[in-house]
Amino acid sequence: MSMTHASAAPRQGAHLASGISISNVSHSYGAQGGGGMLALDGINLEIGDGEFHCLLGPSGCGKSTLLYLVGGFIPVQSGVISTAAGPVTAPGPDRSIVFQNFALFPWKTVKDNVLYGLKKAGYPSAEREERAQRYIDMVHLTGFENSYPSQLSGGMQQRAAIARTLAVDPGILLMDEPFGALDAQTRRVMQEELRAIWRDSRKTVVFVTHDVQEAVFLADRISIMSARPGRIQHIIDVNLPKDRGEEILENREFIGLSEHIWRLVREQAVAATRGVH
Amino acid sequence: MMNMAQARHIAPNMPTRKVPAPRAARAISPKTVDTLVQIAVVALLAGIWEFSARFGALNPFLLPPLSVVLGRIWEDLLAGTVLVDLGLTLYRALLGFVIGAVIGIPAGILMARSAVMRWFLDPLVSIGFPMPKIAFLPIFILWFDIYDTSKIIMVSFSCFFPIVAATYAGCSGLDKWPIWSARSLGAKERELLWEVYLPMAMPQIITGLQVALPTGMITTIVTEMLMGGRGVGGSMIMAGRFADSVGVFAGIVQIIILGFVVVKSLEIVRRRLLIWHPESRR
Repeated sequence: MSMTHASAAPRQGAHLASGISISNVSHSYGAQGGGGMLALDGINLEIGDGEFHCLLGPSGCGKSTLLYLVGGFIPVQSGVISTAAGPVTAPGPDRSIVFQNFALFPWKTVKDNVLYGLKKAGYPSAEREERAQRYIDMVHLTGFENSYPSQLSGGMQQRAAIARTLAVDPGILLMDEPFGALDAQTRRVMQEELRAIWRDSRKTVVFVTHDVQEAVFLADRISIMSARPGRIQHIIDVNLPKDRGEEILENREFIGLSEHIWRLVREQAVAATRGVH
Repeated sequence: MMNMAQARHIAPNMPTRKVPAPRAARAISPKTVDTLVQIAVVALLAGIWEFSARFGALNPFLLPPLSVVLGRIWEDLLAGTVLVDLGLTLYRALLGFVIGAVIGIPAGILMARSAVMRWFLDPLVSIGFPMPKIAFLPIFILWFDIYDTSKIIMVSFSCFFPIVAATYAGCSGLDKWPIWSARSLGAKERELLWEVYLPMAMPQIITGLQVALPTGMITTIVTEMLMGGRGVGGSMIMAGRFADSVGVFAGIVQIIILGFVVVKSLEIVRRRLLIWHPESRR
């Protein structure tokens, strides 16, 4: 019980957006200290406060691993990851995450899913209800509050997961290919909505994707990662207008940048397929 | 037992295809049709029993007519003995089952979560699950008593294994995403058990309970038969000793009804608890 009260303290100010500093982080799976598979090799990356940062790279390049390290889900083996709150050691609501496969609690309704994090954060009950409803409305799930995830389409489940994550007002929003399982149309709509949400709430976003267009559409900066072992190969600034809608897809700069990045990623993707065989 | 349980789940879907819903009876759902067909099948079998016994196809001592058996149950019901027998049997079966669950579910969780518990319990469960538990009855009689205690412990013992095995299977290899989500939303490690692990493992735990409950019913009847005294099993053995075939069949019919009610009740509990699960909307 005392823990509940302790965690109730920071709720007024919510979680402040914060930069993320990743210095010299390496990670290997399997046997540690030799024999294991090196997934990340000496990653150095500074993500600014309120930045929308995309990690882009071929499958298996370790971009999700890097995200899970920032999230605190897997322990940092070597190097340091820190935010304004200090070095990352465990998961916490200041760095909330949306997974590719939604990861809703299937035994809870949409509303109870959203309420879960709010209860943990210690919001009083009336405020909790109001907040949950606000975020459900924001992701256009009004009327589905009492549906279970299994009754919803993939797009709706992902919107519910996003509402659940945003409702706790994390300063840092981690997204692991959140739109990967959605159909093309839903995906486009969700990208625009996410961009709008980010613009209004000024969170730091780290977004993992292997889709070049998605990265260029969403990000302020893009880190292109190499095939295994993952290294950061290029960091690209995206100097496109802050307000991005459908029309930007025809913007010459957008197309040029996408093609440029695609060529950089392609080298890595080719290397990755060679590495696999 | 598992095959029977599975068969019961599969069977209801089969007749629907063969029974085309008449246009006038649109209001009748396929589920109702299923139920009606099933009741009709039971009624048909009861009818065959009744008439073959009544019209000399079978020796009425070896197979007394159903109406005579039901008449006996009615008489005993009025005399009060049926309710005492059923009540005792139900009490032993359910109490044993609940004790088995109260020990089995935490044991399964511990096995899934702690290597030490797994080392300790895994061999015991592997040996105990396939073993005929009833072999322990003489020991339990020596250790405990010849009345309720040994019977109930015998039932708990036989219910424990399917429950612990199902809980262990359900709690190990849980999908990590909801767990990570909960942690990222601020759940503490010790809160995860109630809030995430158990709900996630619930479908498999309930399946374990659904295997254990009929096993517990069987064990109850068998211990009653072996040890005598009141209870449906004991009364059947008494009736058998007095060559009272009607009494034996009365016991069988009581067991069928009791088993049906108990197993169906657990199915209803399952549907209630797993309302979120896609299986509940089939």
